[in-house]
Amino acid sequence: MGFATFDDAVTGGMQVAISEAIPGAEVEVTHGSGGHYAVRVVSASFAGKSLVEKQRMVYRAIAPFMEGPDAPVHAIDRLETVIA
Amino acid sequence: MSAETAIHQQIDQLVKSNDVIVFMKGTRRFPQCGFSATVVQILDELVDDYETINVLADADMRSGIKSYSDWPTIPQVYIRGEFIGGSDIVRSLFASGELHQKLGVKLEAVAAPTLHVTEAAAAILRDAAANERHKSLRLQVSASFQYGLSFGPEQPGDLVIEVAGLTFLVDRGTAKRTDGMTLDYDEAKNGFHIDNPNEPPTVKQITVHELKAAMDADPNIRLIDTRESDERARGIIPGSVQATSALVEELMALPKDTPLYFTCRSGARSNRMGEDFIAAGFTKVFNVQGGILAWGREYDPSLEPY
Repeated sequence: MGFATFDDAVTGGMQVAISEAIPGAEVEVTHGSGGHYAVRVVSASFAGKSLVEKQRMVYRAIAPFMEGPDAPVHAIDRLETVIA
Repeated sequence: MSAETAIHQQIDQLVKSNDVIVFMKGTRRFPQCGFSATVVQILDELVDDYETINVLADADMRSGIKSYSDWPTIPQVYIRGEFIGGSDIVRSLFASGELHQKLGVKLEAVAAPTLHVTEAAAAILRDAAANERHKSLRLQVSASFQYGLSFGPEQPGDLVIEVAGLTFLVDRGTAKRTDGMTLDYDEAKNGFHIDNPNEPPTVKQITVHELKAAMDADPNIRLIDTRESDERARGIIPGSVQATSALVEELMALPKDTPLYFTCRSGARSNRMGEDFIAAGFTKVFNVQGGILAWGREYDPSLEPY
């Protein structure tokens, strides 16, 4: 049996935040090292949007995790936005 | 006016008055995070001049730019008032050629470069590839000729080089700087060794043994001693001439591919003069490491160290 770590909580938190902001999206958040994460989101709502617009939809959802000096998330190493 | 409104106005002014501006960690010359460094490296490739704002030097700017752009990460790039994005967007627009378009830079077709890989290097890399998920090797040569080699997936815009049973991937910028390069492996010389004809000339450091060999091969080589007269009175390397201002002037007028050898007491002053000749466009400039001290140790015990 495993137990929830801080990283699991952050990963799960971001996952929920993105899913709520982009309903129906397939969301995958993986933890790299330190405060670095990778995010992959598949959603039909990305259709017709520019790269900036697509990434902004995701960033808006997870911005609270990246705010302030004690932010749990320091960087998103890879942010993939895929049109479903 | 709230503090945030004030900083937003300031940013608005910056974004509108600069064709290209990067809000980043560190400066163009000294980026202080890998993402910012990536952006600088790509922009350096395409434009001579652009503005950078170091958000680490200004906490209000650091939070202000995030709310201004509605974008939570640094770096952020604006081109002619348009928000472009962060480092991975800049990288993907660069690879696809869209960034060139936005910057008004002509997109030249780049052919896959010729890369030579010696069998010794290839054998090591093929062995390593066997344990990797991605079998292709990403080769990166930065604008300042820093080298990087790692296994990884192909990305849009990559040029593919198949050589010695290996697959190398290079981006457009690296491609230009890779053509004609040789990758060798020699355990005695600290592993991988790169010979790249695209690197700008530098002062090559040679030992007194290499100097001796060059002198034996051609007794007329130009060996320039940058020491003062009183130092030369203590002893010299045979055939060396003093770097008087008249001599320097004469040397500067020589064809730029003339081999020039510089020496002094220990190799520091002569290296500085060598740098001057490199800056003047000379391509074959050598500095004798250890100078007259090393020469005395190896070839002339009568020379007293000072």
